[in-house]
Amino acid sequence: MHLDYQISEDWDESSTDLATADETDLRYFAATGDIILREGEIDLSARWGWIPLIDFALALREIAEALSESGESETFEFTDSDATIRFDKRAQDVVISASYVPGEFGVPLMVFREQAEDFGRRLDRELRAKRPALGLNPVYQDFKLSGLSD
Amino acid sequence: MVALHLGAWQIKAQDATEAVADRVIITQRAIRHIQERHWPDSPAQGAGKFSPGITENSLKQLVGEAVTNGRMRRNTHGRPGQLYEYDFGHPIGITMDGRPAYRLRVVVNRWNQLITAFPF
Repeated sequence: MHLDYQISEDWDESSTDLATADETDLRYFAATGDIILREGEIDLSARWGWIPLIDFALALREIAEALSESGESETFEFTDSDATIRFDKRAQDVVISASYVPGEFGVPLMVFREQAEDFGRRLDRELRAKRPALGLNPVYQDFKLSGLSD
Repeated sequence: MVALHLGAWQIKAQDATEAVADRVIITQRAIRHIQERHWPDSPAQGAGKFSPGITENSLKQLVGEAVTNGRMRRNTHGRPGQLYEYDFGHPIGITMDGRPAYRLRVVVNRWNQLITAFPF
């Protein structure tokens, strides 16, 4: 599974004071971009430019945790669209499908969980490097995108 | 055709909007966001669009009616606030893939401030 992101070049960084942005700002308006999600010929990517990536990273982590515990199915809802990504646990795999494009693929749960965590770590590293003010934000710090040891 | 439906609906929704004016706070920032993402001429992909003829006032009326009469549920995966969804019974815009959209989703934060609203 290839799970990645692309931060939009036109993300209006000046519209939000990242050091003081609240939870709503960070989960709906900050660090928008594309989600890349594919396996072989199946491409479930959402290249819409406006997807809030911090929110996606947090949701992915929660979905991975839920499926690792007792959850059988989780659905990601986009912030500004009725499009969804569905995650169904089948034995030790997670089968991923999307409402906006046909096709599905499976990935071992452990791999999915590792990639979800890695997604958050990479995004956190890039955002802190590009926008140091974000690292000063206590709400952002509480998200612990890089993991609980952060 | 979609725009005509919207115009006919506006008067009916007037009272509903006033009734919920104290329940949802609509800021200019939220209006700007919705205009950029969901206005008929918005180039944003993957997002529903309102019908041509939508105005700031008619948007507020749509939001008011959806919050008054719609189904409420908690936002998902740790996002703060609630979602309201309401089926108007006639098109209010188009879905992300261009079909007529009859429903509106309204997203508010934990302080009942409007975050976004879009047809689907």
